[in-house]
Amino acid sequence: MIRALIIDDEQHAREELELLVAETGAFKLLGSCANAIDALRKIRTEKPELLFLDIEMPALNGFELLAMIEDELMPHVVFVTAYNQHALKAFEEKTLDYLLKPVSPERFLKTINKVRESIRRGEPPQYQIEPLRHIPCQFSNRVKLIPSNDIEYVFSNLTGIHIVTEEGQFFTELTLRVLEARTSLLRCQRQYLVNPESIDEIKLLENGSAEIKTRLGTPLPVSRRYLRQLKVYLKL
Amino acid sequence: MYLVFELLQQTAVIIVIAYLFSKSPVMNYLTGDRLQRRELLVLYVVFSLFSILGTYTGLPIQGAIANTRAIGAVLAGLIGGPVLGVAVGVTAGIHRFFLGGFTDFACGISTTAEGLIGGLVHLYLLRRKQPENLFHPFVAFSATLVAEALQMLIILAIARPFSDAVALVEVIAVPMICANSVGAALFISMVRDQKRVRDKVGAMFSAKAFTVADRTLGILSRGFSAETAREMAEIIRQETGVGAVAITDREKILAFSGVGADHHRAGNPVVTKWSKQALRENKVVFANGYDEHFQCPLSNHCPLGSALVVPLQVDQEVVGTISLYEPKTKLFLNINRSFGEGLATLYSHQLLRSRFEEQKSLLIQSELKLLQAQVNPHFLFNALNTIMAIVRKDADQARELLLQLSNFFRTNLQRKSDIVTLEQELAHISAYLEIEKARFGERLSVVQEIDPDLLNLQIPVFTLQPLIENAIKHGIADLLDQGQIWVRVYRQQETIYIEVEDNAGSYCEQLDTHGLGMRLVDQRIKNIYGSEFGLTVDCEPQQKTLVQVKLPLSQELVNDSCVNH
Repeated sequence: MIRALIIDDEQHAREELELLVAETGAFKLLGSCANAIDALRKIRTEKPELLFLDIEMPALNGFELLAMIEDELMPHVVFVTAYNQHALKAFEEKTLDYLLKPVSPERFLKTINKVRESIRRGEPPQYQIEPLRHIPCQFSNRVKLIPSNDIEYVFSNLTGIHIVTEEGQFFTELTLRVLEARTSLLRCQRQYLVNPESIDEIKLLENGSAEIKTRLGTPLPVSRRYLRQLKVYLKL
Repeated sequence: MYLVFELLQQTAVIIVIAYLFSKSPVMNYLTGDRLQRRELLVLYVVFSLFSILGTYTGLPIQGAIANTRAIGAVLAGLIGGPVLGVAVGVTAGIHRFFLGGFTDFACGISTTAEGLIGGLVHLYLLRRKQPENLFHPFVAFSATLVAEALQMLIILAIARPFSDAVALVEVIAVPMICANSVGAALFISMVRDQKRVRDKVGAMFSAKAFTVADRTLGILSRGFSAETAREMAEIIRQETGVGAVAITDREKILAFSGVGADHHRAGNPVVTKWSKQALRENKVVFANGYDEHFQCPLSNHCPLGSALVVPLQVDQEVVGTISLYEPKTKLFLNINRSFGEGLATLYSHQLLRSRFEEQKSLLIQSELKLLQAQVNPHFLFNALNTIMAIVRKDADQARELLLQLSNFFRTNLQRKSDIVTLEQELAHISAYLEIEKARFGERLSVVQEIDPDLLNLQIPVFTLQPLIENAIKHGIADLLDQGQIWVRVYRQQETIYIEVEDNAGSYCEQLDTHGLGMRLVDQRIKNIYGSEFGLTVDCEPQQKTLVQVKLPLSQELVNDSCVNH
């Protein structure tokens, strides 16, 4: 049984897919999510092998959700869309698996058989992930989307990952590793990422480490290990 | 006394010269406000000669010359400014210097000074913004009076022996001051009169041109046809007084008015070689009647003897001609020639403009067709997907939705007229909204606040639908929590407001970046009702987007609407 998750913002569309998935008897359905934020949590906890992923969703679309998933958790994906010429072109070019709404049962079977085959063979899913342009953050019961260019720096502590911008500090469920890989943020210490555009000055310390001063004037630690990378990146 | 009489005789010579001057082409240079370099040069030559002539016609008195040299220098300064005045003064002064005598140097200097005085008065009047006073005889009189008085002082100051200078000035001062001042005033007065006559002729001509343009442009805007051409030809002939006027298209005469109308008939093909040449080569053809005679190919007894044929063009392409004719017994006036050419240019612009307007309205028509045909595929497939899911649970609701869907598409395809009632437009969008409500479930609610008195209001077709579609597609569909749409139609005094508001606030850009639909709504309303009406977008990010359509309350539209159902 393949562990599958359905992500679609429309209730009827989810129900229809749930029925189609159930009829095959080949899947263990982990649930259905109505948006990308809920889906990300579910993916972390349930670790599905296959996503049925709608492209057009509020706030964060299907492609943006993929960009928020850590590489080691990346499931296989069957994209679902009603009509999106742009997406269709991408599917065809990248030979991705996709379904068109309304979904015909024949087409559905054909597609999942193909995906089941590649899961059975243990082929790791390989998707071209686009950079994250917005970072979803928890903000007093709402989701705030912070443009990744606006980020000053990111740090982790016991309570989680925190994004700092001019407007303040926000909590995000994305990991430092995802943020490092999918945005232009640079690692400067084990617990810190910094936006290279926000670096005001770098002060080299005697023990071989350094300290960054951001444009907002916050000092950030730079460990010896990441200082070298930082220098290469900044062509110092 | 004898001297005064002699100098007055000289003044008569000046008046003759002034008369010739006012008739010469140099006069043209005095009509413009600002003198160009070339004009200044011509004026310099003319006034220098004039000033030198003043010296030659002077009377030798006690080893000096009583003369009217000052007039040229002062007037040059007055008309052309200090530079011209000094230039003329120096030229005439140097000339005077080489004639010798004991006042040679003093006279040379003083003539220059007189030119300068004229120039200073010129500057003063321009500063005071009274350029018209440059040609006031009193100004010329006063300026010359002061200049001549100064000359006397300079002679006293410089010429030696002093006793001779005093004796000379005693004799020549009064006659020279009088004669020069009066001469300058007369000169200017004559120039001014001539200038006035010219201005008057120019003004009359302009007035005539504007009358013709005013009376004919309105006619032309109705189109370029035999009927409009006939009215225009008649007006042009009346106003210009030429013998005959013809307007043709590329092949035939559209209208002919005036002498020779008996055999030059509307509807006949274009036959004269002049018209054919104008059409073929896209240039003005002129047979002035003496170098080249207009010869009518239709009748040997045709009274017409001269012709001007000007092509009418739109976008480099000749669409017809306007011809002015004079009978053999009359000269073709130059003024009518330039008038005819100007008129043709004006008409060409008007024709281009009409064509542009026509194409613009065609474009809007075809865009409307496009909008009609442009069934949003995203909406269609999502609707079908929703209905497929609902079929499993609630067949009745699914049937209901399929009906709504077919209603929506049917009205979309059937809408032929440009104007519908508000009630029809609301019915159309409610079918759309029912389907979207089924699709989004609890995420979408719609509140309609419609003034029931306005249901018969006539509005351009597809006014509401693009706004609703935008609110769903770019508003509600992008919202994580509960979405709401308000549709309001209300009246404030003589203005109708149609509003679509959503609580997403996710499209805040300017109107022109929005889809074809919204832009078309705005353009069509502005085309129909004027630019003070149309569409505005008010947005608070994450809070609301309010799209407002402003329409005039046209009473007849409200009343008539019952008839059109």
